[in-house]
Amino acid sequence: MRSDYQIILDLIPQNSKVLDIGCSDGELISLLANKNVSAQGVELNQEKVISCLGKGLDVIHGDINLMVEDFPYNQFDYCILTQTIQAVQKPDILLNTLKKIGKNIIVSFNNSARLSKVTKFLLSGSFDSLLKKTDSDQWYNTDYIHPCSIKDFKKLTTDLDLRIISTFDVINKKKFTNGKIPSNLFCKEVLFHLTNV
Amino acid sequence: MRDITENQDYPGYLLKCNEKLHLDSGKSLSNFQIAYQTYGKLNVEKTNAILICHALTGDQFPAEKSPITKKNGWWDLMVGPGKPIDTDKYFVICSNVLGGCVGTTGPNDINPENSKIYGLDFPTITIRDMVKVQKILIDALKIQKLLSVIGGSMGAMQVLQWAATYPESVKSIISIAGSLKHSAQNIAFDEAGRQSIMLDPKWHNGRFLEKNDKPENGLSVARMIAHITYLSEKAFQNKFGRNLQEKKDLSFGFDIDFQVESYLRYQGRSFVDRFDANSYLYMTRAMDYFDVSEEIQQNQDKIIRNEIRFLVLSFTSDWLFPTKESKEIVSLLNSIGSNVSFAEVVSDKGHDSFLLDEPQFFRVAEGFLKGIK
Repeated sequence: MRSDYQIILDLIPQNSKVLDIGCSDGELISLLANKNVSAQGVELNQEKVISCLGKGLDVIHGDINLMVEDFPYNQFDYCILTQTIQAVQKPDILLNTLKKIGKNIIVSFNNSARLSKVTKFLLSGSFDSLLKKTDSDQWYNTDYIHPCSIKDFKKLTTDLDLRIISTFDVINKKKFTNGKIPSNLFCKEVLFHLTNV
Repeated sequence: MRDITENQDYPGYLLKCNEKLHLDSGKSLSNFQIAYQTYGKLNVEKTNAILICHALTGDQFPAEKSPITKKNGWWDLMVGPGKPIDTDKYFVICSNVLGGCVGTTGPNDINPENSKIYGLDFPTITIRDMVKVQKILIDALKIQKLLSVIGGSMGAMQVLQWAATYPESVKSIISIAGSLKHSAQNIAFDEAGRQSIMLDPKWHNGRFLEKNDKPENGLSVARMIAHITYLSEKAFQNKFGRNLQEKKDLSFGFDIDFQVESYLRYQGRSFVDRFDANSYLYMTRAMDYFDVSEEIQQNQDKIIRNEIRFLVLSFTSDWLFPTKESKEIVSLLNSIGSNVSFAEVVSDKGHDSFLLDEPQFFRVAEGFLKGIK
């Protein structure tokens, strides 16, 4: 299981209502459903939608950039965005909408400012080096349009009036509270647990 | 008294109900019958039954050869052995709607009050009335809970009405190319169709059967108007373009010049043979009156308690029941906290896509049914 999924499963209490944005083939919502959490997904890829449906999962087919506005307000206890925010066209607008439809927001992403990445970028002189190895993407056609650092994201949460409950260094499974956050230089993957209250 | 017999006029069965049926209009029918057909086998636990709700001009014969058109049933691609609604697995029920003209009580039947054909004395019916009659059928078949209720267009309206009125009797719902309520534009198209029928002198104020007549022109034009709304600009363009019909030059008159004209006239003419003008009036009216939003909200607790799973489907090129309207269904169902899924299928064939060979659409529906436990 993906390390960020494990953290999310531990974080979300039973009987919560969850929206997983960019749910892919439904691995996380299916894990949540096993835990008696009512989970719904949003997914753009139709094949993945079909795969979710076949597993008996609730999934909304659509582009998250356009779709999330259709959800009624105060409907979910948690909105989850794992490894997705960097592909969103306007992350600030999306988070602002999520703030209205859910009480808590969980966001995980890879920290683009970590030393190893920055060094690689510096040495190669190419943005392509920041993209995943498995990715055939180039800088001009990648979905990865908004690389951001832990520091960047923290600033955005302040701007949007979102309160940080806790953050996690996902790889080392380390939790940070009381306003502390993982190291912007060394943490590879971060998870933010935010709330609108 | 309710009694099931073989249907003498068509394949399938008749449920004859010798009892009063109270309608939304406040009026009632003193007795009525439901014509239906079934496919596949009902299991011992009676848990594999699927009700299919037909659209405006459909009938109770979605699968196999249709006794009406002698062609494949209207949803033969969807329903049958090994098909998405697999009759090897499911027991499929489809009934002709109330007000219809293929065996279920409608305006062309004899009014027991005065032994005359109903005509316009037939009470105005609603989608809820149609569903009420379907529920009576399901009760007569002693099925407590339908595995799914599935329908497109006017069928989708019935499907949503089922969830709203009888939430304890359905496990899942598939609404295809539907809406919570008929839009102003759709009411407008319906009105144009009805006026076309009613302005035909051969309609005789609805008494054409007694006069041994038929408002062929009116009904045919109504069908032509409606048929345009079932396709898309692109579907027309791809199918016909500006191609001429069996000629090289324009006629400079009003005969058929273009292939698309010939096609539409054919659609109109062939419809007259199989459909009744009064049924057309009553059924389009039922669609106009449809607005299920409030009842869904009123019964939200029951919908949630029964854990009904909803699948809402739309097609990109459908402008009669556009994706926007399916998304309104999804929004409402989300706002009451129900289990809802949604998919938009890419197709350039317009509203009629749900009746055509759209593999993605079939896979979505099949996948959803597979996930119903």
